[in-house]
Amino acid sequence: MTLISRVFSGADQWYDQASEAINNAIAKYGEDQAVAFGDTAYSVPCIYAMLGDKIGTLGEAKALLEGKIKDLMTRNLRVKDVFTNGVAGALCCELIELVKYIEGCPYDKDPVIGHLTDAEIREIGLPLVVDDIPGVAVIIGAAPSDEEAKTLVKGYQAKGIMVFMVGEIIDQCKRMNVDMNFKIRIIPCGYDLSSVIHVVSVALRAALIFGAIEPGDWDGMWEYTMKRVKAFVNAFEPVDDQTVCCGAGAIQLGFPVITNQEDNIWSIPKSLIIQKDTSKFEATSLEARDIKIKFVEMDIPVSFAPAFEGEIIRRKQMRVEFDGSDPIQNGFELVKTLPLAEVEDHKIEVIGPDIDEMPEGSKQSIACVVEVAGKAMQTDFEPVFERKFHNYINCLEGIMHTGQRDLIRIRVSYDAFNAGFRAKHFGEVLYAKVKSDFAGVVDKVQVKIITDHDLVEQHRKDWAQAAYNARDARLESLTDENVDVFYSCVLCQAFSPSHVCVVTPERLGLCGAVSWLDAKATNELDPTGACQIIGKGGVLDEEIGSYEEINEAVCKYSRGALEKVTLYSIMVDPMTSCGCFECICGIEPCSNGVVIVNREHQGYTPLGMTFADLASMTGGGVQTPGFMGHGKTFIASKKFMKAEGGIQRIVWLPKALKEELHDKINKSAKDLYDIDNFTDMIADETICEEDPEALMAFLTEKGHPVLGLDPLM
Amino acid sequence: MEANGLLYTHEELDAEAAKLLAIAEKKGASTWQMRVKQQTPHCKFGEDGVCCRICTMGPCRITKKAPRGICGCDVHGIVGRNFLRFTAGGSATHSDHGREICHTLYCASPDGAYRVKDEAKLRAISKRWGIEDADTKETYALAHELALMGLEEYGKVFGTQKWCLDASPDRIKAWDEAGIMPRAVDREVSTALHMTHMGCSSLPEALVRQALRCGLSDGWGGSMTGTQFSDIMFGTPMPMDTEANLGVIKEDYVNILVHGHDPSLSEKIVEYAENKELVAMAHEVGAKGINIAGVCCTANEVAMRHGIPMAGNFLQQENCVLTGAIEAVVVDIQCIFPALGPLSKCFHTHFITTSNIARMPDSEFIHFSPENADKNAYDIVKMAIENFKNRDKEAVYIPQMKRNCTVGYSCEGIIKQLDTVTNSQVDETGTYQPLIDCITSGVLRGAVALVGCNNPKVRHDRGHIDLMKKMLANDIICVLSGCSAQAAARYGLMSKEAKAICGDGLKRVCTLADIPPVLHMGSCVDISRMMNLVCDVAKQWGITTPELPVMGCAPEYMSEKAVSIGNYVVSTGIDTFLGVVPYTNGSTEVTELLTSGIRDWVGAAYVFEPDIEKLGDMMIERIEEKRRALGI
Repeated sequence: MTLISRVFSGADQWYDQASEAINNAIAKYGEDQAVAFGDTAYSVPCIYAMLGDKIGTLGEAKALLEGKIKDLMTRNLRVKDVFTNGVAGALCCELIELVKYIEGCPYDKDPVIGHLTDAEIREIGLPLVVDDIPGVAVIIGAAPSDEEAKTLVKGYQAKGIMVFMVGEIIDQCKRMNVDMNFKIRIIPCGYDLSSVIHVVSVALRAALIFGAIEPGDWDGMWEYTMKRVKAFVNAFEPVDDQTVCCGAGAIQLGFPVITNQEDNIWSIPKSLIIQKDTSKFEATSLEARDIKIKFVEMDIPVSFAPAFEGEIIRRKQMRVEFDGSDPIQNGFELVKTLPLAEVEDHKIEVIGPDIDEMPEGSKQSIACVVEVAGKAMQTDFEPVFERKFHNYINCLEGIMHTGQRDLIRIRVSYDAFNAGFRAKHFGEVLYAKVKSDFAGVVDKVQVKIITDHDLVEQHRKDWAQAAYNARDARLESLTDENVDVFYSCVLCQAFSPSHVCVVTPERLGLCGAVSWLDAKATNELDPTGACQIIGKGGVLDEEIGSYEEINEAVCKYSRGALEKVTLYSIMVDPMTSCGCFECICGIEPCSNGVVIVNREHQGYTPLGMTFADLASMTGGGVQTPGFMGHGKTFIASKKFMKAEGGIQRIVWLPKALKEELHDKINKSAKDLYDIDNFTDMIADETICEEDPEALMAFLTEKGHPVLGLDPLM
Repeated sequence: MEANGLLYTHEELDAEAAKLLAIAEKKGASTWQMRVKQQTPHCKFGEDGVCCRICTMGPCRITKKAPRGICGCDVHGIVGRNFLRFTAGGSATHSDHGREICHTLYCASPDGAYRVKDEAKLRAISKRWGIEDADTKETYALAHELALMGLEEYGKVFGTQKWCLDASPDRIKAWDEAGIMPRAVDREVSTALHMTHMGCSSLPEALVRQALRCGLSDGWGGSMTGTQFSDIMFGTPMPMDTEANLGVIKEDYVNILVHGHDPSLSEKIVEYAENKELVAMAHEVGAKGINIAGVCCTANEVAMRHGIPMAGNFLQQENCVLTGAIEAVVVDIQCIFPALGPLSKCFHTHFITTSNIARMPDSEFIHFSPENADKNAYDIVKMAIENFKNRDKEAVYIPQMKRNCTVGYSCEGIIKQLDTVTNSQVDETGTYQPLIDCITSGVLRGAVALVGCNNPKVRHDRGHIDLMKKMLANDIICVLSGCSAQAAARYGLMSKEAKAICGDGLKRVCTLADIPPVLHMGSCVDISRMMNLVCDVAKQWGITTPELPVMGCAPEYMSEKAVSIGNYVVSTGIDTFLGVVPYTNGSTEVTELLTSGIRDWVGAAYVFEPDIEKLGDMMIERIEEKRRALGI
């Protein structure tokens, strides 16, 4: 027996299994039965990505299986054949899973998740790019013991590695009470081996979404996934032929397989690694995939990892809660710049009672004040640091943080408390992270954690509110016109190699995470890094925001993929997007307006498309006039599609988003057009969904200004 | 261009060569293409090896009607003797190169022209050879002692070649049993000449046996010394980027071509091309600087140690001069066309010979010796600079074609690269295990050592290139040396981007290990490195060398050295495929021995097949056969 013969045998078994599943389904439902995973714009994603074919019915699935997929199962003794058979096996898996979805998602009442939506993939795009998710582990089979299963999964989670699980490992985790869900990045794919395809689907859709790789571009797919999707597989023994076949598919995509199976398996450097000692799976895997974990030393009794950001602490699990939004209690967080002499590095003070002195389940006050000093420090950076507090504190296992400024809420769970977590540990985390993340401008950091109610209240007024007011005034004053420079941001290029964001004061990055001040700070921290200064020279057309220097910059940073972009138009050379945008807008032809939909919104828009459908029109650094990805707060910007008339073009928004931006949009509309309560004129899903006529009737009834504007096209 | 602009096509390179030929015609210069026409058809008796000129009773030529020579020797004896003499010529040549290197090492001193660069290697070899205090002895005292020992290997009275101890145990056993363990290098050459003297051996089996032994004294003797001692002095090659083909000749520079084999000369020329005084002198005569480009194995030597670009291989030596942009062709030994003398007279080019071994008409002779190396090199470079003004700038034509390449994969370089794909949680570093894993898993089907010269009997470089492409497409990695390596480099196959034309397995290996699909292991003397490679891989794997799915191949060879190499490669247990039939066709017995009989002695044999396509298919089939035998 050879490795190659095992792959071939596995592919045959997959083929037979897929064939049986489809034939049985056809016998039951007929050839015309529609099949889809749902919530994706990419048909049956792996098949679409690898072969370029869209299938929608069982009959089409059968034809594809017996045609193109069978054709992949060539039998020369070459790696090419190993790869094509591996992919064929994977595509068979996808068909087997697809059949399970005929009557809707089969995994609804289980921890098992199965297929992930496009929106979920877009959500993890940014964390993948910035290494908050430094890698993706796919665990198949059963660990030698339940304890080992938990150790492995939690070990990955503690390093931020996203974990997908297939088979018995899921039950092992269940027995060990390991939380499993998308938010905390521990995802049970399914019990059948074929469910492994749901991970492959994520990787291949990443290539389609962020990489703009053409469907069916076989080489483009693996080159993208190999270089940019840092996934790897841990396959526990026994590894049967079908698993070996899936492994071949994984290796084709550049994902190394680490196994403890020793018989009938052959090592391949950096691709198939036999590690007898399962306790070393993690270290072996990270090295095999060249994953380097950024590790900041901090003295805390609980784990710290991005994966814990999505953790929810319920009231019953809560030892104590700090709540800045409470009418009695108070809370705020603040970064203050002080002279170097006034800061003692790593001084952490807790002022007021510690957590163990607080009644169980009580609400308390807290102020997290980080005082920094540095020769290159600017007060403009204070909010940039401060906004990261949410992320820092949330990464603590057993701690939940929401909100910002003086509206924060922090919950400390019993688990964290029992592990020894106390108030000073907030200080340790804030100290360590601010010091390491902003090492370029911060020389010394000290932290005050104040829990004394009166003192918190006092400093909320004299320190925090004064600072917030000053900052708001500064932000108000920042317009595209009154700054000298803009910034490029190519943070996403690890994932979307030809996309470049141009960040201006009135247009933040489309991911919503990079404002002009953030970009400025990023540039100061690392002058050769992701954000570069762009001058405003060579005005070509001020109205649409077209500048020679901007065009030169995007051309340079996209390595020639883009020649020009405008800042303010969605029709003429609109800015590109990577794929991790918060919102997408698209023109609505009946009204000559635009529809905007955010990632969280699941339903249809009056364009007859969902977020996923609209999102697939753009992304990957490609310009698609009429469609544009952008950040949420850009919607209320006076520069939002200014070239086409501005925000008065907005005719439809999801209700939740409309409410979130209510005040800001109304203020901009008032300033720009002297219209009161403009948001009342904007339709949402409660008024019309998928129905342009209802939309037009609503707009006419409300006298929406778009009706008086020139056509967009 | 092929493969999205990665590779030159035969037609593109031929078109540029044709332009240079037209220049030659205009100048009235003779080229090898013209001389091939004059010399064909070749003498059939000579080609078949049935002509005996060893004594003055003849020459005797064997035909059906005259089946024996005057002495009564039959065709098998005559062909066998000719084959052995051919081998002895090659073995003597390579080995004498090694002897020169020993001499240079013997002259090395801390402040002299030659120094020790790879001290670790010096000490390691000294230790293996049993020198006392090899770890602690003063560097140069040790170097001199080792050099002397190296020299003694040529004439040792008793015993066999020390390098053979580095071979795998199965080889040592096979050589002992076959009675071909090589003794003193010079003795094996002498024995060969003695055996083939009138009235000595005419038994094909004895003659072929000595041919293998004489070859072994080269590969596991003289050549090995040449390689290893060069590494001690000039550094063990490590991967390095450079360029290849005629486009590396620079119009605005003083161009010096180094050509031949012995790095003692070229190393010094390269050094003096950077000499401040000489560079200033070049500027004074209106040149932008001094550009060194290599031809033949000298090119390989300086490319893999200094990144000096490679202008071309054996059949391009005249083309270089025909560009009209060469101020000096500086040559040492071996593979230098005597035609360069008359050819250089058609241009301003100085043709400078430097070795007593290679004296030629129409050349300027500057005797180069290790003792006077600095002055010699200075004078030569200066001569070239002073010649710049004589260049007919109007008549210069440099084809603007060149390709990037990565060169310098010594065994140490390969292992270092393999270390990058190990996993410290499971693997050891410093071994060939990753390579073995690739082969046993089937990611790579095997390896081919593609080596050897050019020969007008095969269209220039096509044998090399077509075979390489075929191997690469079939996931067979190639290790190259000599003119084969330069062919790959100038076509673009030696760049890392060339992985695009490989099968998916080799492509993945190239991506993960960050290597080109063909590995440059050096000059023809460095085929000794390949012998270390196969023996060490076999040892690590725990099998014998004949079991390895590894083949040797010289599709375009022409020299006696190549036959000597073939003999030691086969004796090292590697089946060897030749695209040009040696002068053995006249004897069924000798042919049978070489293509089959010797397999009983050394576990491998020759395949002669002038159809390159077929030759490639046969190698692939043989590799698969070996895989099946191993159950992989």
